[in-house]
Amino acid sequence: MTILRVDHLTKTYRGGGRANDGISLDIAAGEVFGLLGPNGAGKTTLVSQVLALLVPDAGTITIDGVDAVRHPDAARRLCSFQPQAAAPVEGVSARQAIEIVGSIRGGQRGPLRARTDELLAALDLVDVADRPVRMSGGIARLTGFCMAAVVPGRLVVLDEPTNDVDPLRRRALWQQVRRLADDGAAVLLVTHNVLEAERCVDRLAIVAAGRVQAIGAPGQLKADLGAPLRLECTLDPDKPAPELPASAALSARSGRRLLAHVQLADVGDAVAWAQHAQDAHLITEFSVAAASLEDVYANWVQPEGAPA
Amino acid sequence: MTQAWRSYVLLFRWQWLRNRQLLVLLATIQIALGVGVIFGFSYLVPHITPQVAVFFACGAPTLTLILMGLTLVPQETAQARVSGRFDYVSALPVPRLAPMFADVSYWLLVQLPGTIVTLALAAWRFDVHFHLTGLLVPAILLVSLTSAAVGYGVAVTFPPSATTQVTQFLSIALLLFSPIEFPLSRLPEWLQEVHRALPVTYMADVIRGGLTGQYGTSRALAFAVLAAYCAGGLTLSARAANRRG
Repeated sequence: MTILRVDHLTKTYRGGGRANDGISLDIAAGEVFGLLGPNGAGKTTLVSQVLALLVPDAGTITIDGVDAVRHPDAARRLCSFQPQAAAPVEGVSARQAIEIVGSIRGGQRGPLRARTDELLAALDLVDVADRPVRMSGGIARLTGFCMAAVVPGRLVVLDEPTNDVDPLRRRALWQQVRRLADDGAAVLLVTHNVLEAERCVDRLAIVAAGRVQAIGAPGQLKADLGAPLRLECTLDPDKPAPELPASAALSARSGRRLLAHVQLADVGDAVAWAQHAQDAHLITEFSVAAASLEDVYANWVQPEGAPA
Repeated sequence: MTQAWRSYVLLFRWQWLRNRQLLVLLATIQIALGVGVIFGFSYLVPHITPQVAVFFACGAPTLTLILMGLTLVPQETAQARVSGRFDYVSALPVPRLAPMFADVSYWLLVQLPGTIVTLALAAWRFDVHFHLTGLLVPAILLVSLTSAAVGYGVAVTFPPSATTQVTQFLSIALLLFSPIEFPLSRLPEWLQEVHRALPVTYMADVIRGGLTGQYGTSRALAFAVLAAYCAGGLTLSARAANRRG
């Protein structure tokens, strides 16, 4: 069952460029959908329109069958949201912030308390739950997640939920994201963190320059890449970058790191080339591994944010 | 409990919890301001007649209420826009003006001790006799909500960086050229005419009337004008808050 349907969404800011340029995507109940893209790709603009904070120039947004553009109040009831900036928790404790937002979203006292306790325990926040939260840092971020998850909407929008969060709590957080979907919500996850997204999302869209560049399940997108392996080299900063062999296709280069796609049949050639380059001190190290979502991402997005 | 009332109560609770550590400081500042107004004015005007005393005593809380709406509410709103709190609350299923009502309620409570001290000092220093009437409560609500509607409208319409400038301009114009601390008749003819169409004179009048039982103009007219301004201000503010970029 489709919960969120975005159809040919276009938004241009006054005096600015086109932030969303015909974006279409849909998310089903029970699905974690990743929205990946560089800064300025138009992700936050898309989210703001879904949350009825901005009005699109063209296109439609439907949440659980409701036209979110024409019925913003209904959209706000149907969505719960963790913002990219810290949630407004200054001056209150995590428990207070979570329970107040849960009450505003219609939670009843008993179940709300129980759900708050459950989230605080799952994210290892019990010891800090009753102290005032500092506005920045991982605890504020986790509190923001709990505020979105305590009485979840049919659609849960999470904008960079793991920023500043330590590795153990991060893992617990992803489990809770999965739980939200398993309990029937559609989860829209906005992130830069490609590696984490790969483990958590069912499907994803790569957005750059206001357009959806690629959309599908991670496995499908990797298969579409047409090269199952990746060669990663660390360049010597004092030497010129070596010319890649014909068997490897350059995927991305940022700083000293060079990524290339390699076909299964060419892996021997590629390794021999890399070994030779390392012996000649042109690269300091290399590795060959199965292609990841990062390779898909790098295929579509240049470092400066333009589509590849 | 309706959804709107529930939202208001919860947002008020949030506001209260958020600022409770500042509560004593803010209330103390309000008390100090009240003391300052009463003593300060007696230096400014050395021979205080009973009529002037009533204007001072009742003008002080009127000014406090108006300035709350025109400065504290918009500054708080501008700050919330910068920190992201405004957008966060806007994305919650609450009526658009519920955050403003919560802010106004909070500030009214913060100002209450200061107002009581000011009135008590005025009674003692200028020998003013108060006769509180039941109309004081609607008067306070009308004055604070009308001012807050204007302040909130400014804060959601102008960029946060310009909000302080705009509200300071309004406040200074109000302090210098409005018949709050002095009778309307002291202003030039043309400014009197302007003020007959603006709400400020009526604001001062309903508060003075609520505190002393004596109104300068017609009581019904004053309340009617203020009710109209309040309804208009809230409608415009709600429209501004509803506007989505």
